[in-house]
Order: sequence, then structure tokens, then C-alpha cells
Amino acid sequence: MIGLISYLVFFTTVASILAIAVLGLNLQWGNTGLFNGGVVAFFGAGAYGTLLLGGTPQPDHMGGFGLIYPLALLGGMVAAGLLAWIVGVLTLRMRHDYLAISTFGVAVAFENLMRNAEWLSGGAKGIRGFERPLRAALGDGFLYNLLFLLFVLLLLFATYRFLELLVGSPFGRLLRAIREDETAARSLGKSPDRIRLIAFITGSVIMGLAGGLYGTFYAFVSPQDVLPTLTFQIWAMLIVGGAGNNRGAIMGAFLIWAAWTASGWGLSRFAPVEMQIFAGSIQYVLIGLVIVGMLLWRPQGLFPERLVVSQSGHAKN
Amino acid sequence: MKKLNNSKLALTLGTSIGLAMVAGSAMAQDCTTKIGAVLPTSVDWGRPIAETAQFAVDQVNAAGGVAGCEIEMVLRDTQVDPKVGVDAAKALVDLDGVQVLLGAVSSGVSMPILTSVSVPSNVMQMSCCSSSTAFTKLAEEGNTDGLFFRTFATTGVQAAVGAKVAADQGFSSVAILYKNDDWGQDLNNLIARDFEALGITVTASVAINDGQPSYRAEVTQALSGSPEALYLGLYPAEGTAAVREWLSLGGTQNMIMANSLKSDDFRENVGLQYLGSALGTDTASPRVASADAFVAAYIDRFDSEPNGPGLANSYDATMIALLAMEAAGKDATGDQIAASVASVTDPNGTPVTADTAGFAAARDVLAGGGTVMYQGATGNVRFDANGDVSAPAVVWKFTEGGTEEVQYLSLTEVDDFIASLN
Repeated sequence: MIGLISYLVFFTTVASILAIAVLGLNLQWGNTGLFNGGVVAFFGAGAYGTLLLGGTPQPDHMGGFGLIYPLALLGGMVAAGLLAWIVGVLTLRMRHDYLAISTFGVAVAFENLMRNAEWLSGGAKGIRGFERPLRAALGDGFLYNLLFLLFVLLLLFATYRFLELLVGSPFGRLLRAIREDETAARSLGKSPDRIRLIAFITGSVIMGLAGGLYGTFYAFVSPQDVLPTLTFQIWAMLIVGGAGNNRGAIMGAFLIWAAWTASGWGLSRFAPVEMQIFAGSIQYVLIGLVIVGMLLWRPQGLFPERLVVSQSGHAKN
Repeated sequence: MKKLNNSKLALTLGTSIGLAMVAGSAMAQDCTTKIGAVLPTSVDWGRPIAETAQFAVDQVNAAGGVAGCEIEMVLRDTQVDPKVGVDAAKALVDLDGVQVLLGAVSSGVSMPILTSVSVPSNVMQMSCCSSSTAFTKLAEEGNTDGLFFRTFATTGVQAAVGAKVAADQGFSSVAILYKNDDWGQDLNNLIARDFEALGITVTASVAINDGQPSYRAEVTQALSGSPEALYLGLYPAEGTAAVREWLSLGGTQNMIMANSLKSDDFRENVGLQYLGSALGTDTASPRVASADAFVAAYIDRFDSEPNGPGLANSYDATMIALLAMEAAGKDATGDQIAASVASVTDPNGTPVTADTAGFAAARDVLAGGGTVMYQGATGNVRFDANGDVSAPAVVWKFTEGGTEEVQYLSLTEVDDFIASLN
């Protein structure tokens, strides 16, 4: 029973971290219509930034500045934001598929940079030597994981509230206006380019936060953590949950990550021994089926976007 | 009661693939001890590594299991994704209560498993194939708690023997193609240093990324210095593609290969006629009778020679883990099992072979309070204080039916040679 709780705490932590990244993508795609195919680059910038700033000094690469944790995490978010600003200025004039391809390229370039720039990121060996905050006081057992989960849940809730407020505000309406018809928004005197850039950077900073928490949780990050698979996973979560709906984004993250892990667990437990060896491949097929099924029967996601008329047409005055 | 909870969990977690319905058929026997295996079974070369581990478990069960209990190896796929691997390891430890984890293969997966699952949960982790020097550093800093072992000799041995082959063949200049991951980068750095120590010029060191349609640019770069020989630190898939381009552009057939290319696929896809002057290195030791026994038993079981990367290492990792569990006794915890590893790899202990009979013999010796020296598929495995192994080495070449040994270097010869380089 203790084992089950301990595992669920672990699972919920990872799912919540991923949910934060999905919320960031939801702001970009769900609300603003920006097709970010390079989620993993901003996630990775947050993770690498946090570990480089907050880690202990290492002989073979830079970093290890040993900043106190909140500053390191903030630094990771700033790193993601800076990357988003550069990428955004260069690519946001492109539309949909072109934007997707160029941001995907940025993510691949990011992974290759981290893999090869040994002086910066430790190369393929990755970054170790990060001391998890308060580990000395709390040990690294169940209590630590539980408190870290609470910290992550708090940030998840704060991100959710922030985005709900943002989306419900006039600025949120502006985002949707740009998503639906950019020319119309421009004709009303709005500046879509600037607004798109702001939304892109904000979403990426949120992804950077998720990346920073991810790096903190494992106390390790390597180029294997920033492969394109992660971008695909985050997108699958948003599509299944429902693009444009923050609650859907969070639910999608939990459901897909649960399916991803539970299918492996279920196969290892219930598949016959001679099939075990193929369980990994079967798992890929099952996960693919869930996503295809979702797209076929409920393309709007489990929690579709709710369009709210914030000002009634029959004004009192 | 636990079974019921777990079934509920599977349902709630929403896989809903109907798997829970077969829960009843998976009832355990009276006495079963579980061990966990976290291996990349969704990758082609990962599957035989898992099969070999299961093979060792079957042999031990045939000898009556460990501490009177049958061993059940619960196998989880890592998908070579650190998140998935760590989650699988955590589930094995928390839900299945394993005290021993076998795996992973990639250092980028083994490392987060070690730091966020094995060490916090006090579980022994035995990897067959992770080669990164980062583990040695982590152990030196005292952060593995003595829980981590690996049966894959550190990249240093592989690099030193590769450099020795080049020196013995009289090559004065060598180009290097290496896989662009932690293993390849380590290997490249080490062998470049060894070549330099032996006075051999490295004309080019070129990184090869996975899954490219063509390696013409990389190969051209390697060719530019007109090297006398080519060193290949690659895996079969991209190794085949790169070597084909190398040969078609007129590169030399003097090639030195790391053990990762000891594969039938590589030999067949490149063509034996081009591999006549190619020499490979490996850390296995077929001098010991039990290693021959492993090859024979493997052929008997799988109808092919154990030619894939990491098979002998996977076998030894599993066997040593199980022997240590036997030595630690029933219901031992991970740290107790880890502490018992020394008593089953004791150079002064009673020699035991790596098979069913050997396990039974080891049980008797251990029950009498003695220690054993495990003679495994990779030789007489001996761990240093950091959980690393050094190993005897062989030089091999491809033949019609597989591979053939050209030269054997004993542990002392390897250690002396490495010492002479520094």
C-alpha cells in the first residue's frame, strides 16, 4: 500500500510537470493558433538553464554557479524566454506548417547543440552534480517526493489560474481574434505580430518552467531528454485533452501519461512471458491507437474549447 | 488485496485495454522473488539483451531458484526515453517491490534511474551496458552508495586495445568515426589520447549521428587526411551505412572496430569480402571454460551465436545479481545484496561456472560460509570500488560463419598496456 502511494506521488509529479508544459502549448496553439513544433527546445532550455545555474561546479563544462534554487528556476525560465524571443522574431511571420517546420528545426538544432557543445552542457554525458533543494534537510525518500509534488501542484495551479485570467481578459479575446482572422484584427487597429510574439514568449516561459522542474526532479538532464519524442507527447496530450481549454490540457497530460506508463505496466504484468519481449513494440501500437481513435471520434478533444460571449449583444444602454 | 488494488489502478489509469481481465491468471506461486529489468525492448538490439537476461533467470530457476524461491524477472521497456525508463523503474520498485534492477542500456537512462530511483529507494542496480565515465565520477563522489555495478568494461579498455591493434599493425595515421552519443564521445576522447601516446597521428575525428540518409559529408571529411586506417566506434545500423560510403569513395579496408560492430547484420550488409583486413576488439574472455559453456548454451537455446552487443554482459549482470541475492539470503534489501557482490566475485573464492550446475555449486559454498569466484561469459568478473570492471580483451575478425579470435590479451596484459600509456 505504501508502495502504491509512493508510486502515485511519483507519477503525479511527472504528470503535473508535463501538464504545465501542455498549458504553455495551449496558450500558443489553443488560444493563439501558433503551431509550435519545437516544444522540447523551450522545455530543454528551462531544464539546462536551471541545472547550469543551480548545480555544483563541474570540471569538464561550464555552469555550476550554485545559485539558490528559486533564482536557478527563474533563470531557466528566462533562458526559455530568451530563446523564444530570438526564435519568435525570426519565425513568427510564418504561418502554420511553415512555422511548425522551422520551430521543429530549432528543437533539433537545440538537441544537437547540447549533444556537441561539451564545454557548455557536458555533451552527450549530460549534466550531473545538481543538489535538489532542501535535500540535506529532508533526505531523498518519500517525504521529499511528497513535498516536491506539493510544490509542483502549487505551480501547476498558479499557472492554470494565470492562464484562465489571461484568456478571460480582453487580451485573451485579442488572442482568439488573431487566431480566427488576423486581417480582421489588424483592421481594428491591433498589432498581430507583437501580440503573437508576446503569446509565444509567454507560452515558452511556461514550458521552461516545466523543464526546470523536470531537471530538478531527476537532478540530471542529458540530450536524451530533449529528443523530438517529447514534443510529440506534449502535442498528443493537448489534442486528446482539448485544444483551447486549460482544464482539458491538464486532463490530457494526466490521461496520456497514464496511458503511456500503465500500458507498459499492464503488459509487463499480464502479457504471457514469451510476449514480454515484444511488449515495448505493442505499447507503441496501443498508444498510437488511443491517439488515432481520439482523432477519429472526438477530434475536438475530451474537453472542447468553450466559447464564451463575454459581452452580450443586447447592451443595456 | 494488493492484487485487487493494482487491478483497480490499471482501470483507473485508463489504459482500458481490457488487460485487467486476465489479472486472475497471473497468480503467484508460494514463493516467488521478483527482480526488475528496465531494458529498451522496443529497439532491435535491446530485445536479445533482455532475452539473455531471462535465459540466465531460467537457468537459476532450473537450479531451484534463489534462497528457495523462484525468480520472476519483470521486464519493462524504456523506449530509450529517460522519463519512461525512470517511471518503469519506480513502478518496479514501488509496486512490485523489487530489490534488484537490471539496466538500463543507455547511460542517459541508467543515470536518472540511479539518481532518482535506485539510490533513494536503496535498490541495487546492475547495468549490462552503460559505459559513460559519469558513473565512475558519481561513485567517486560517494553518491551511488555502492548500489551501482556494471559488467560492461569502461570505455578505457576498449579504447586502449583498439590503439594497441593499430600500433601492432604498424599504422601511422588513423581517422576515427564515432557514434555521437555519450559512449561514442567518451570512446573518441580516450582513443585519440591513446593514439597520441603511441605516436599515431589522428587525421580526423568525425561524429556520426543516427538515422541520416547519407554519411557522404562525414566520410569525405574522414578521407581528407588520407589515413592508413579507419577506427569505427559505431553501432551496426549507421556503421553499415558509413562503411559502405567509406569503401565506395575509395577508403582503406584497414579497419579497427569496437565490439558494438560484432554483429552478423553488419558483416552481411557490408560484405565479408570487404572486411578481410578489418580487426575488432572486445572485452570478452573465451579462455575460461564457463565462457565456452555460455556460448554453447546460448547456441543451444537461440540457434545462433551470441554476436549482438552486450549479450555476454547482460548474462553476467543477471547471474551476478542472482548470486549476490543468494549470498545475501532471503528477503535481503538492496544494500545487503550490493554488499554481497564482493563475496561472489572474490578472486580467492571457489571457482564456479556460469550455468545451472555452477549456481547450485555456488549455493553450497555460500551456505557453508565460503566465497565464490564467478567465471562468467565475460571472464572472471571483478568489480573495483566504483562498481566498474576491467576485463581481459580479445582481438577478433569476421569469418564466413560469424567471428573468429585473432589474439587474446589477459587481464594483466591489458592492465599493463593501459599503465604503459599513462
